Amino acid sequence: MTHAILEVVGLEKTYGSSARPTPVLRGVTFTIDAGSFCAILGPSGSGKSTLMNIVGLLDQPTAGSVLLAGERVDPGSAVAAARARNRLIGFVFQSFNLLPRLTAWENVALPLLYARTPRGQRKPLALTMLEQVGLTDRADHRPAALSGGQQQRVALARALICGPRLVLADEPTGSLDSVTAGEVIALLRDLNQRLGVTVLMVTHDRDLAGRCDRRIEMLDGRIVADETA
Amino acid sequence: MGLWPFAGAHLSLGESASEALRNLRAQGQRSALALLGILIGAASIVAVLTVGHMAQQETLKMFRHLGVDMLNIHAMPSDSATTGVLDRATIEHLPASDPSVVAAAPLINDHETVSAGGRTATVAVAAVTEAFPRLMTIPMRQGRFIQSIDADSLVAVVGAGAAEKLSSPGAPVAPGARIALKGYVFTVIGVSGPVPFTPLDALEINDAVLVPLGGARRVFDPPEPTSALVRLRPGTDLDAAGRRISSALANPTATLQVIKARDVIKSMNAQKVIHGQLLTAVGAISLLVGGIGVMNVMLMGVMERRREIGLRAAIGATPADLGLMFLIEAAVLAFVGGMAGLACGLLAALVTAKVSGWGFSVALWVLPLGPGVATLVGVAFGLYPALKAARLNPIEALRAG
Repeated sequence: MTHAILEVVGLEKTYGSSARPTPVLRGVTFTIDAGSFCAILGPSGSGKSTLMNIVGLLDQPTAGSVLLAGERVDPGSAVAAARARNRLIGFVFQSFNLLPRLTAWENVALPLLYARTPRGQRKPLALTMLEQVGLTDRADHRPAALSGGQQQRVALARALICGPRLVLADEPTGSLDSVTAGEVIALLRDLNQRLGVTVLMVTHDRDLAGRCDRRIEMLDGRIVADETA
Repeated sequence: MGLWPFAGAHLSLGESASEALRNLRAQGQRSALALLGILIGAASIVAVLTVGHMAQQETLKMFRHLGVDMLNIHAMPSDSATTGVLDRATIEHLPASDPSVVAAAPLINDHETVSAGGRTATVAVAAVTEAFPRLMTIPMRQGRFIQSIDADSLVAVVGAGAAEKLSSPGAPVAPGARIALKGYVFTVIGVSGPVPFTPLDALEINDAVLVPLGGARRVFDPPEPTSALVRLRPGTDLDAAGRRISSALANPTATLQVIKARDVIKSMNAQKVIHGQLLTAVGAISLLVGGIGVMNVMLMGVMERRREIGLRAAIGATPADLGLMFLIEAAVLAFVGGMAGLACGLLAALVTAKVSGWGFSVALWVLPLGPGVATLVGVAFGLYPALKAARLNPIEALRAG
């Protein structure tokens, strides 16, 4: 009964001038099933980040196509891409990227602003999301008053608040110590199972990758290994 | 992305404005500095308009007080004479001989030393007739004004200021008091109330002692009128009437100078307009400088908040949302400066009114203008930073340090 949430077909990305092209992705094709928890591994320069940016509709491929939940978003339209990011994708960053002058719940509620959610509904939704990540009692704290692990959990709540189909996590534990990192991954895994949201995570950490349903390994802009646990 | 990326925004204006205020407060001091230029600009514009409005009100008041249909014909000595004079009978006959003349009064005007009780002062001394109050409003505080029965009697009307100068404790200058002038003793028959002096007036009544023209030979040499005040029928062609009356009064002793009330008011206004233009220029330059300040603050804000811009883009902000966010911040910043400028401008106008002795009044249409112009400047100068924010590449923005 599984169906594909993400279909990537023949993706190519080349930087630089046409005289001296620098290919970063050289024909990447894969499919991710709905509800799966998938890691992308590879050394730096292997094209992971570029792949994540294109899948996240922040960048346009030179060739190939991305289908998100069956939709093909017009890569030329900044507005259509922004709307699709808001609706379908949740981003989690290595450096959390919380706005320092907003409280935890306001940070979580930020995507609702762009989803045109009426003002009165935002706080209850944000508090529900904070409950999901176990931070109800920190709702009115600013990021500076939170630990790294707590900040990343706030960021997780923010990524999930619009009910995305796909969470893109780029080195989500890269700024955390190994114990906290384990906790954050456990929470991500838990949310993946409880909410049924698909997670695509870039990581360097083979241990963390070992906890995923599937590992895609990249090298020089190509997929060199794809194993399902 | 097109040249105009603000078409796809979907945030409400009120919400954007409150968000903007919050962001500006976070920037604190730098926002305050940018405000200063806007504040000065808006303040000078509000001050110019309010002072202009008050000056206009004052001019209108003066028109009501004097009427605009006044002529003052002054005899300047011609080349052959040492003193230029006018013929009293011709002046007094003017209302009958010229259909456009309502009233006419002869006048001799000089300065003399006057003493009363133990006090001596140099004041304006004028010889007038009973026709004089028909040309200038003179409120009497005590006693009466000169009348035809006074003819050449030794009586005097003293202005409020002159009376104060000549009064001593126990010997106030009041009806019945005696004052000495050129060796003659005059009996005071009246004291006038304070009269506002305007540049139109032939003499400052407040500071004058008035005696009947019939007895002028005791004080003045020659005892003939040197000026004629003429009130014309409203709507009379002042230039033509001036020429007609001049030719009626023409005589070999004098070169006649015709001063028209309307011209005096006009030149007063012209002066105010020049001052107004100067202040407007100051206001415009301040607004320009303020606008550049806003642009500077916003550009720095865009640079410093690149990560935030990248994040907002990632969670669904369209380029329009991002551009509008900064545009509204610039507008709110300038609006706050404009409001402060409105307050400062009104304060400056209030001070001007107090110093000039004017009534303080504000034209209602000025109130939205200060903040409005400031906001426009904010939007105009915020446009470039806003476009810069809208066109930021989200990936590079997220990668910013």
